[in-house]
Amino acid sequence: MADYDVTFIERDDTEARFLVRGVTPAFANGIRRAMIADVPTFSIDTVRFIENSSVMFDEQLALRLGLIPLTTPLGGEFDEDDTVTLALDVEGPETAYSGDLVSSDDMVQPAEEDVPIIDLKDGQRLELEADAVLGYGQDHAKHQGGVAVGYRHLQRVEVVGDRDEFRDDEPEIVRGVIETEGGELVPTEEFDNDLTERYPDSEVEVHDVENAFVFDVETDGSFDVDTLVQAGIDSIRGRAEELKEAVQL
Amino acid sequence: MMVPVRCFTCGNVIGGEWEEFKERAREGDEDPEEVLDELGVERHCCRRMLVSHEDLVDVVAPYQ
Repeated sequence: MADYDVTFIERDDTEARFLVRGVTPAFANGIRRAMIADVPTFSIDTVRFIENSSVMFDEQLALRLGLIPLTTPLGGEFDEDDTVTLALDVEGPETAYSGDLVSSDDMVQPAEEDVPIIDLKDGQRLELEADAVLGYGQDHAKHQGGVAVGYRHLQRVEVVGDRDEFRDDEPEIVRGVIETEGGELVPTEEFDNDLTERYPDSEVEVHDVENAFVFDVETDGSFDVDTLVQAGIDSIRGRAEELKEAVQL
Repeated sequence: MMVPVRCFTCGNVIGGEWEEFKERAREGDEDPEEVLDELGVERHCCRRMLVSHEDLVDVVAPYQ
């Protein structure tokens, strides 16, 4: 297949924005879907309540526990449907936080420590054991590692002349990332998403650049963005190879 | 009742920001917009989760 060209525009642990050139719209969407649905994360799936005298029902608390992101190593340490047990024991008056969960495995820990689970009043107590399983986003949103994963066309802005002197003072809104004539990549937030801020005196034209997509990727904390993107791509490659083998004569 | 763990729309984890938001923007007199910006809650779907939330645990507790 053709060569790809990947340029990072912004990048930190949980958020990244990068430009991919030389992929078809279908493939770009494939990457997006793989990052959402085909990268597994740990999430609490079964909860055994030993004591719950809080104001919420067992199943309400179980739902909240399921949504707490757990760190997930994707280096092959765990297989699908592996379980890790976590325990929680908090007595009121106090708030039970996600950080109070004690995990049986050092590699699988709550990714955020300060998510309130339930506010316990005097005399109330919550004690439970929970099994976290490695599952896929296509089965339940709680297993989604990627949050708000999306892409846009890269837009090329060309100066085509001078702005009409008596023209209406209307903003020209663009979002995403633009490519200037000099080949520079500029996130539109830098000029308040308004092209008249960046090119006050020029008439400009905006065109989508073919086969160039700017991805916005965020994770819920289960792993960093690099791991998520890599795992998404690996999942596509794995399925492509499987297909190739299956249709061989 | 309790603040939702994640944003209903995008799935971003916002539960952890609630206590600081409550302390600063509800009980304190800071501008909610600025507090949300500082907390890094960017999208309006996540912002409404905190802005429109009301803690009801204290209201329900006596009826247990």
